Amino acid sequence: MKISRINHLIALAFLMFLSLAGATATRAQTPDPGTTGPNLVTREEYNFGNSVFRPVGFPISVEVRASVHYPTGLANGPYPIIVFLHGRHATCYRNSTATLRWPCLNNEQPIPSFQGYDYIAQTLASNGYIVVSISANGINAYDNNVSDYGMQARAELIQHHLGRWSTFNTTGAAPFGTKFIGKIDFTKIGTMGHSRGGEGVVKHYNYNASLGSTYTVKAVLPLAPVDFGRPVVNNAALEVILPYCDGDVSDNQGAHFYDDARYNVAGDTGAKHTVQVMGANHNYYNTVWTPGMFAAGTADDWGYVTGGSVDGHCGTGAGNKRLTSAQQRGTGLAYLSAFMRAYVGGETQFLPLLTGAAPPPASAQTTNLHVSYHAPDAAAKRRDVNRLLDATNLTTNTLGGATTQSGLTPHDLCGGASPQPQHCLPATQSTARQPHTVASALSTKRGASQLRTGWGAFGSSYTNDLPLGSRDVSAFQALQFRVSVNYNDLRNPSNTAQNFSVVLTDGTGATSSVRVGDVSTALFFPPGTVGPVPKVFLNTVRVPLTSFTGINLSDIRSVKFSFDQTGQGALLVTDLAFASAP
Amino acid sequence: MRLVYNDRRRRGWKNILLTTSFLFLFSACGSLALAQDTPANDTTTNQEEVTLSDILKLEGRVLGEGTNTKTVGQHKVKSYRVEEVTLPRMKEVRIKGETRSVGKAFRLTIKGGPFPVRAMPAVIWLDETAIGYGIENEDLNEITVVTYDESALAEGATIYLSYGDKKNKEDRTALPEKLKLGGAKGGNQ
Repeated sequence: MKISRINHLIALAFLMFLSLAGATATRAQTPDPGTTGPNLVTREEYNFGNSVFRPVGFPISVEVRASVHYPTGLANGPYPIIVFLHGRHATCYRNSTATLRWPCLNNEQPIPSFQGYDYIAQTLASNGYIVVSISANGINAYDNNVSDYGMQARAELIQHHLGRWSTFNTTGAAPFGTKFIGKIDFTKIGTMGHSRGGEGVVKHYNYNASLGSTYTVKAVLPLAPVDFGRPVVNNAALEVILPYCDGDVSDNQGAHFYDDARYNVAGDTGAKHTVQVMGANHNYYNTVWTPGMFAAGTADDWGYVTGGSVDGHCGTGAGNKRLTSAQQRGTGLAYLSAFMRAYVGGETQFLPLLTGAAPPPASAQTTNLHVSYHAPDAAAKRRDVNRLLDATNLTTNTLGGATTQSGLTPHDLCGGASPQPQHCLPATQSTARQPHTVASALSTKRGASQLRTGWGAFGSSYTNDLPLGSRDVSAFQALQFRVSVNYNDLRNPSNTAQNFSVVLTDGTGATSSVRVGDVSTALFFPPGTVGPVPKVFLNTVRVPLTSFTGINLSDIRSVKFSFDQTGQGALLVTDLAFASAP
Repeated sequence: MRLVYNDRRRRGWKNILLTTSFLFLFSACGSLALAQDTPANDTTTNQEEVTLSDILKLEGRVLGEGTNTKTVGQHKVKSYRVEEVTLPRMKEVRIKGETRSVGKAFRLTIKGGPFPVRAMPAVIWLDETAIGYGIENEDLNEITVVTYDESALAEGATIYLSYGDKKNKEDRTALPEKLKLGGAKGGNQ
């Protein structure tokens, strides 16, 4: 049964109203996690010495030093604890000259990389969190000398600090005395690591678990991370923040953390997120690494890219789309705060920011970012329609329903396990432009399997049928998938967003269609022309099920991508699912 | 003979004594995912294992050295130095897929900088072969890679520096001088 033309127009108008109203309501209902909270904040540091803790197998003993931000007076509590770990950077300086040794010479000072996230710690503490930011200069000075680039050492250093905090929390100890006794909730721990610290916090998550520790790490956030060894976080929340103009980890290899975790463990309770921040570089998340904010060792890392200054998006010329360092810190503040507050503190009002149901908050200082979300593996949270993991999924989807296509070429899988091609783009394209499939320094794991498809005429389609027993999707909040416009396929016009329709059909034959471009910005044409950009990066398209009207969501028979908005195009697609917030 | 890494060496010899008892736990130190040669057994419990840290501190015999003093390219390279290092003990490594016992290592050092301390490791190349990941010195004006395969040191090869993926040749900076050993190569016999 088809909806009549008049009804269609009415439905369309109603849909637009609902969409606008819904977006407005979501925005209005979702508070800004980056705003200062009700608590005054006290900042202190502890420093037990430069050479007092030796990670197993590490060439030297390293420092035990950190800053701590906490609600002044500690009137309430116990408080959740958030641990920050900076990344690899020069360790010492004299005047404007940076060096890499540990400990520093007598005429040098340590570079306080651990202080570079104080702007986030301050806000989190004002909202009721204790934030500890660890110095790791000793590890940075020698991590290239060990086979895992210091990841195990980083994990052990975090664990050592948690041990110190356990003492502060139980018996008390210098330099804090009894101040923190009973004030730490070790069942609510979050970790954030930047750069090599990003893999460090993932490594720590697994190390902590391997010890049978009583510390419960609920949320892990690698920020612009490396992923040399491909460790995986499961059963804890994960958010990976990836700056598009990263000139250091320019391949955005941290995408692997999200990809590798998705289907790794059955019943995985952890939600997974990525935030792709357009115009952001590697260093500006840390104020001590930012030019003009510290005396030595700072850089706009996009400058590491040969010829990078002329890039239209990431470069420095007129009209570039780079974020200022302040804007970039805004994105870190907003999405790190949202993540930690939602998953560590249980402040679920911030979840819409992380699922993409709400737009970026004001504190992010930009709207040019893209959020992806993979729901926990629970029947009420996610129903995978098609994981697109192997060739079987080209004809039979994850639910067991038929998968068909019309007019699509190519229509194959790439990026995943052999025999898929290792990369989705031809060899002429740098692997730095393909974060989901880029090789890893210390692992032979392949990347994310993706559907590589394209169309050359209006009306081409890709359809997944839902078999009996899978057709009631009314309890879910959204239909979603991850997608990237394939910039290397000439069917996608340069600098022009793609568009197509998602069509649901119910048991009566009624259909409802939503244009992706009306609900998502994920079909943007990846910008840039130099070095590691443009990139094919998979971002989630989230189509609220409330957008589909005039059909019975309790009896959906198929999900169709109808390429009816443009005459030609090419996409990479994966993770087609119905999903709800965690 | 030439002494290198003097700052580290002064403190290093003291550390070596302390370090020895821990060597069995980090015997994998020498691997660093070298493209051509790696320690044969990363999990060995041989307490006498010579680590990468050790090799960086040992005296070396200069086999070849460039003379350019002008900074070149995006990665600020100037010149190079190749040294042969006699190991205090034989070391089992894998060279081109075969396990071999070697008594010498070779340090290929690129001079220039100041080199940034980055998340992504430096890669040192000879022609189209990535010799391995490099390690910065304390003053950030040298990056060194260690190889055990003297055949990798091809006379006349172009020396490159890049960062990150060892398969990515796009963002390499070539040194202005090609590798010259002048027949000084000794090597593992």
